[in-house]
Amino acid sequence: MSYKVIFKDLNEERELSGKTTIRNLLEDLNISSETVVTKQNGEVVIEDSQIEDGDEIQIIQIIYGG
Amino acid sequence: MVVCTKCGNPKVVISRKQSGQFLCSDCFIESINKKVQQTIRRENLIQKGDKVMVALSGGKDSVVTLDILNSYYKRHVIDLCAVTIDEGIKGYRNEGVSIAKAHAKNLGIEHKVVKFKDCFSIDLDEIMEYENHRGSCTYCGVFRRWIINRTAREFNATKIATGHNLDDESQAILMNYLEGNINNLSALGALTTSKSPKFTPKIKPLREIPEKEIGLYAIVKGLDVHLAACPYAHESFRMEVGNILKDLSKQHPTIMYSILKGYDKIKPLVRENYPPQFHQGDCVKCGEPSSNELCRACTFLEELGHEVQL
Ligand SMILES: [Zn+2]
Ligand SMILES: [Zn+2]
Repeated sequence: MSYKVIFKDLNEERELSGKTTIRNLLEDLNISSETVVTKQNGEVVIEDSQIEDGDEIQIIQIIYGG
Repeated sequence: MVVCTKCGNPKVVISRKQSGQFLCSDCFIESINKKVQQTIRRENLIQKGDKVMVALSGGKDSVVTLDILNSYYKRHVIDLCAVTIDEGIKGYRNEGVSIAKAHAKNLGIEHKVVKFKDCFSIDLDEIMEYENHRGSCTYCGVFRRWIINRTAREFNATKIATGHNLDDESQAILMNYLEGNINNLSALGALTTSKSPKFTPKIKPLREIPEKEIGLYAIVKGLDVHLAACPYAHESFRMEVGNILKDLSKQHPTIMYSILKGYDKIKPLVRENYPPQFHQGDCVKCGEPSSNELCRACTFLEELGHEVQL
C-alpha cells in the first residue's frame, strides 16, 4: 500500500501504513498547514481527509515568508 | 463524514476553525464574494461609475482582487483597468508579468506594464548592487507607489485597488502600534483618501479575507497565479510580527479579525489627535505630491545618482 506525494521538487512514493490523514502527512513533512493547500487526486481537500492506497497528494504552497 | 454546512455536498474544501463551518468549493467561493461585497458596501469603497485600477502583480492577492471586481465590471457598475510593475528582479518578476498580462487580456481590460528601468533609469537588481542601499523593500515600496499614483492619473482612474488581505492589515496595525508609530497607524484602513487632487483614493476590498483563504480561492477557482517568494524578501520586523500573529491564530482563530475590528473602532479617535500628514506641495523634480521639496522617490534616486525620467 502506497501513495504519491508532490511538493515543490519532492515527488515520491510513500508507504501507507494504517490510518493516515493529510494532517499527519503535513506534520511528517514539517509543513505548516497554514501555508499550503492540498489536493488529493486533483481535488482540494481538508486536513482531516484520509489518504487511500494509490492516492496522489499534491501540496501547493500559497503563503511565503513566515 | 463531514459535509458542506450550507448545501450538504460531501466534497468540502475548507474547515473554518473560527466558525466551525465546512464548505464545498461553490459555497466557499460564494462566501468570499459575499464577504468582499459586504466590505465594499459597508466601507463605501466603490460608487457606480468608478474607474478602478487594480495594482496587478500576478500574485494571488491581486489576481483574486481583479477576479472579484470583474463581477462589478461585468454588471457595468464600474470600469476596470490594471497596472503591473516590473521592478526588474531577474528570475522572479517575468512570470508574474506574463500571468498579469494574460488575466487582463482575458477580461478585455486596459493594462499597462511599467518598468522601474523606464521610469528611474535603474532597476531593483541594479540598486541592490549599491553598498549603502536602504534595503530592497524600502525602494520597492516608494517606487511602486510613485508609479501606481502616476499610472492611475494616466488611466483617469477614480480608485486604486490593492490586494491587501487580513494578514497584511492586522500585521500593519500591530506593527505600527508596537513601534508607537501613531501617524502611520491613523493612515491605515479600507479606504485611503487625500486632500491632494493628484492622489487617487486607494481601496482594499480583500482586507477582511485571511491570506490562506485567498490562496484557496485562487486554486479552487483555477485562477492562474504566480506563487513564488521574492528573492529579496528577508527577515524583517514586519515578518516577525506576522509570524507572531500566525502562531496566535492557531489557538485563537479570530485574532486577526478582532485586531482589525478593534482598530476600525479606535481609528476615528486616533485620527482626531494624529491626523495623517497631508502633502502640502509638489516635488520640485517630478511634480508628485510631497511634504518636502523632494519626494521620497526623488530623494532616493538622488542618493543613487539617478533621476526620474519624465
Ligand atoms: Zn456547499
Ligand atoms: Zn519627486
